[in-house]
Amino acid sequence: MIGILFAKARQFIRNPWTFLIFTGMSIGFALIMGITGGSNAIRVPVTIVDEHLRDTTIMSELKASTSFDLQEMKKEEMLKHLKNGKAEVGVILKEENYQVIVGVDSVRVRMVENMVRQAYIHYYQQQNIVDAANMVSNKQKDLLLYDMEESMNDPVFTVDSKGFTSSDAVVYNPTFQVLFGFSLFFVIYTIAYNVLPILTEKNEGLWDRIILSPVKKWEMYVANMLYSFFEGYLQVLVIFLLFRYGFGVNFNGRFYDTLLLIIPYVFAVIALALLITALVKNVQQFNAILPIIAVSMAMIGGAYWPIEIVESNALIALSKINPLTYGMEILNGAVVYNYSIQHLLYPISILILMGVVMIGIGIHLMERRHI
Amino acid sequence: MLELVDLTKRFKQQYAVKNLNMFIEKGEIIGLLGPNGAGKSTAISMMSSLVEPTAGDVRFNNNSILKKPAQLRKVTGIVPQEIALYNDLTAEENLQFFGRIYRLKGAELKRRMDEVLDLIGLKDRRKDIVKKYSGGMKRRLNIGVALLHDPELIIMDEPTVGIDPQSRNYILETVKRLNAERNITVLYTSHYMEEVEFLCDRIYIMDKGNLIASGTKDDIKRILSAEKTISIKADRLNEAFIKEIKEHPLVNNIQVEEKEITIMVAKEVNIFSTLIKMAEDASLELSSVAIKTPTLEDVFLHLTGRALRD
Ligand SMILES: Nc1ncnc2c1ncn2[C@@H]1O[C@H](COP(=O)(O)OP(=O)(O)OP(=O)(O)O)[C@@H](O)[C@H]1O
Ligand SMILES: [Mg+2]
Repeated sequence: MIGILFAKARQFIRNPWTFLIFTGMSIGFALIMGITGGSNAIRVPVTIVDEHLRDTTIMSELKASTSFDLQEMKKEEMLKHLKNGKAEVGVILKEENYQVIVGVDSVRVRMVENMVRQAYIHYYQQQNIVDAANMVSNKQKDLLLYDMEESMNDPVFTVDSKGFTSSDAVVYNPTFQVLFGFSLFFVIYTIAYNVLPILTEKNEGLWDRIILSPVKKWEMYVANMLYSFFEGYLQVLVIFLLFRYGFGVNFNGRFYDTLLLIIPYVFAVIALALLITALVKNVQQFNAILPIIAVSMAMIGGAYWPIEIVESNALIALSKINPLTYGMEILNGAVVYNYSIQHLLYPISILILMGVVMIGIGIHLMERRHI
Repeated sequence: MLELVDLTKRFKQQYAVKNLNMFIEKGEIIGLLGPNGAGKSTAISMMSSLVEPTAGDVRFNNNSILKKPAQLRKVTGIVPQEIALYNDLTAEENLQFFGRIYRLKGAELKRRMDEVLDLIGLKDRRKDIVKKYSGGMKRRLNIGVALLHDPELIIMDEPTVGIDPQSRNYILETVKRLNAERNITVLYTSHYMEEVEFLCDRIYIMDKGNLIASGTKDDIKRILSAEKTISIKADRLNEAFIKEIKEHPLVNNIQVEEKEITIMVAKEVNIFSTLIKMAEDASLELSSVAIKTPTLEDVFLHLTGRALRD
């Protein structure tokens, strides 16, 4: 068994391209998608009519919003954006009031309006207080504003509210979504192409040679699966390490847990690959089927987009037998929702169960067909 | 040493091997001959314990291997028909791998590897990746792997298929040497009569799953004692002439090649003058007509009415 692992490792060193390509793709896609959809803020084009607004709390408050990302532009450009559907809603900021231009009516329009109105109200409240205190000197005015701010930062009691899409509500965090999604997706390929040699080596007669040696058959299966595990795990490890220490993505303090939590997923994917290998007749079929399976798994399992987007009942049912669904559930659960490992035992055990069943069927089919 | 008893393998409705009886004594070189699809590889898979027979038994030193193949496996080296090597590894690494799975290690493994590399003549290419080898070199390494654990019996399935004459001779010489110097028992499978004639003491001939002849070379050639083989050569054969010969009642078998026709007739028949007349009628210019000493190829033609290779 050690001998088989050794030979595999040697072949890997001589021919690491599959591994490198799929690792690179995961990182590349995660980066590109992570940057373009970099923050979950909704982009809102803004036209500032009155220049002096820039120095007011209206602008600073709007800019501070994590739910919306203001993009300043000319009015005509804004209208074009709205017309093309690049934005749903635009805002024109004037001295005394504001104007919300609606392209597509949606919840977000009201949210934007709300936010802008709040900013104006806050500004004018301040102005009124300052005006009322106008009889005093400028120095006192500053002092007054400072006091007011202090007291607001340290209120007598607080009402904690969370915006629907603001990041602290953790409904959808694209950084993790994209990172986990692409890692779990591309690792399917790396693992599958490490399981495939079971088929090719059988066809080439290499297995027959090994069977005649004192090595047991189960050792061959175990060695192949162990090795696939090693390479698949290594890939996710490399990606996560890079994002953790290279790009400073902190996994909400659950980094080491995630390294542990991907194990059931990797195991289930090895089992799936073994089953596919047992079902296909040759390498061409394998090459044709693998992307279909991997891509559909990614689509209905929530690797490309949050699984909540999937609405069809049939697809939802399918997602329940999709290892990737549970893989995402586990990672998101740990990192985004900060669930404890005990809380994740359910998806973990489903993955392990799936793995055991698929390995059982896969080996059975393979043994029956190839003797 | 090894004995096959009514060995049979059926795939669906088709018999790949049917009631094959065969024995191999220690120190012999046995030839197993047959055209494509004769059932040679299937027979080998069964006798090496890779495939379970539909019926019959394989006995090694008088013990059935069907339930207990370990004893046989330990002392047998198999050279598969298809090259079964790791293409991305060097010759040395391949040998190392197969040596390890046979539980060889350290100095012993190294000694065996050197010996095998020497034997198959790949000593100075040992560090090259198999992918970059020529067909002949791969074939040699394919054999080398089977020799690594110092087997008493080697079973070779068409080890010279598709390679140049030089590598082929090298392999044939090597097999002979292994047998002569180390008393290794060999079962050698081939399409090529001349290889089997060169190597083997005894020969089995299969066709379509059936054993159609067996015995020593002389035994088998004696099958032809009632017939003689005549070779007719011409620069350009024509259809009329071939047709005439085919239809001639005294001709038992005919094999047509580009510039040569081989026919078989009963020993006592004198057909020379008839042949020459037929050639004249078909306005064909003969370059030679001669009686050949029979080859195994002719035996096959005699037995099946077909050439061994088409
Ligand atoms: N796994 C299989 N399933 C079905 N039929 C098979 C299988 N293996 C062999 N056969 C059939 O059994 C017959 C004998 O095949 P086999 O490979 O033993 O012939 P062979 O003598 O080795 O031929 P060759 O000289 O081409 O190697 C063929 O008709 C083949 O189609
Ligand atoms: Mg064969």
